[in-house]
Amino acid sequence: MAQKGTVTKGLFLGILIIIGIALPFFSGNFIIRFVTNALMFAVLASAWNIIGGYTGYASFGNVVFLGIGAYVSAVLMEKGGVPFWVGFPASGVGAAIFAILIGLPVLRLKGHYFAIATLGVAEAMKALVDNLEITEGNSGIYLPVMDLSVKSQYIFFYFMMLGVLVLTLVVTYIFLKKKLGYGLIAIREDEEAANSLGVNTTLFKITSFALSGFFSGLAGSLYAYQQGFIKPESVFDVGVTVKMIVMAVFGGIGSILGPLLGALSIEIISEILTNYFLVAHTLFFGAIVIFAIVFTPKGIMDIISGRKKFGISYLLQNIRDHRV
Amino acid sequence: MLLQIIINGILKGGLYALMALGMSLIWGVMDIINIAHGAFIMLGAYCSYWFFSLLGVDPFISLFLSIFILFVIGYGIQRYLINLVIRATIFITLILAFGIEIFINNLALVMWTADVRKIQVPYGASNFSIGNFVTIPYVRLGAFLIALIIACVFYFILNKTRLGRSIRATSQDLDAARLVGVDVAKTYALTFGLGVGAAGAAGTLWAILFPINPMMGGILTLKSFVVVIIGGLGTMFGPIVGGLTLGVAEALGSNWFGTTYENFISFTILVLVLIFLPRGILGKSE
Repeated sequence: MAQKGTVTKGLFLGILIIIGIALPFFSGNFIIRFVTNALMFAVLASAWNIIGGYTGYASFGNVVFLGIGAYVSAVLMEKGGVPFWVGFPASGVGAAIFAILIGLPVLRLKGHYFAIATLGVAEAMKALVDNLEITEGNSGIYLPVMDLSVKSQYIFFYFMMLGVLVLTLVVTYIFLKKKLGYGLIAIREDEEAANSLGVNTTLFKITSFALSGFFSGLAGSLYAYQQGFIKPESVFDVGVTVKMIVMAVFGGIGSILGPLLGALSIEIISEILTNYFLVAHTLFFGAIVIFAIVFTPKGIMDIISGRKKFGISYLLQNIRDHRV
Repeated sequence: MLLQIIINGILKGGLYALMALGMSLIWGVMDIINIAHGAFIMLGAYCSYWFFSLLGVDPFISLFLSIFILFVIGYGIQRYLINLVIRATIFITLILAFGIEIFINNLALVMWTADVRKIQVPYGASNFSIGNFVTIPYVRLGAFLIALIIACVFYFILNKTRLGRSIRATSQDLDAARLVGVDVAKTYALTFGLGVGAAGAAGTLWAILFPINPMMGGILTLKSFVVVIIGGLGTMFGPIVGGLTLGVAEALGSNWFGTTYENFISFTILVLVLIFLPRGILGKSE
């Protein structure tokens, strides 16, 4: 069984990589743009997975890192006149620093309280950016226009986003094999036990939160530069947090490829819904969230990797496990 | 002037208290953070709006209808949906509630469009003055009193009735409650129904005082969080203390910093209370 799982996973990964590299040379702007967006959500979901999936701290404010990443680049490039190659890493570092500062007090909270506190931080930041002068408040801020043809821009952002995604996944993979990964999982399973076994829980939790922030911040920078214009309510939208969590859960939290898979499938589903039901597509999206949570709370990664067999009995078993 | 601001804050705070009452009950008993709470408030508001504009029913009367309708909706949702996943990890129920919120909001958007509406009661503008300093609109005072009455009814139900005893028993120890013959699934459904019913009442009162639209729920959910957290979980009067505190803090804060900072103030208070006073003002220690 394990053998079969590894082979399927390897094959799946190989196909993904080939498609990933070849795609922009065979498709039109619309597809490239769509996939870039899906990749961004894959980055966000994977970054959420580090703190929410592996560490077990369900952050409900992860969008704040996207927002900070976007605004760091926007302000530095527009007001400070720095080139993109400075603003881009600065966004990741800025979001990571914010994660550390906020994480110090907030990561002491557990369960629902952590969830609400992070949500509160994200909303407070949105309200703050909405009012600050340097961010041009709620009228939004423009970024410098890129000096490239439209097609090249699309390809540029596609590969940048793909690069950030690969970086996120590889770093997560490497850390999981190290002390950090085992420490995080120990914290998820039983924080007090981990602490008494000598795991520096505070340091581990903050590292995990900062990593999550760093990758989301990079994605935020790319998002802002590609959009060319951002507003607080678009980059601090709590709906984006929901989307990344739903993607991570749908794909399978606590696995490396789960969030990527979840992001791709949910983005494709919502794109199809948007095409068919222009007005009511969000309505159907809500219904999909409900069904996905009720029937596949453990994610579809189990099925893809061949650990579980898909069928009615699998779906019903999930309900049997959790109902009252 | 300052007195007037504080009184405005207290009157709005009563409404916040009522909003948070249902959320606090659901959270305390079932450990569900009902993100869809604001969506239910919105449904309550529209219930009374349609009763008023189609049939001419006064909102202070359709209040009871909207409580009843929302109770039935809440009961059904808990019984046939949330109960299916209630024992999964915490963010499963959180996201399920988010899914429900997205669904309800967009259903309302499709059915009733995004137009901003308001219940224009004929007595909406009448008020009375105390001395020459303070003006109190009747509707605001009425909404405030009804919020307090409903809180008292809740207190009575939870502490003096058989249903209340099963709700409290279930929240203390699920298995023990089941052993002594409490139908847990049904108790959960009734609890959710009560909480959502209170949200319906809050919605009606909101629609009398402020304009409504299908997307109004999001910010109200967040404010209910703040109120629950400030007041503290697990006491019936926590939401009242929290609601009044938030109402006054917002009124004073908007006065000093400007109204655009209102949300920033609420959420900063939320995070600070969580960090320094995680059990809230009245919360019990574990």
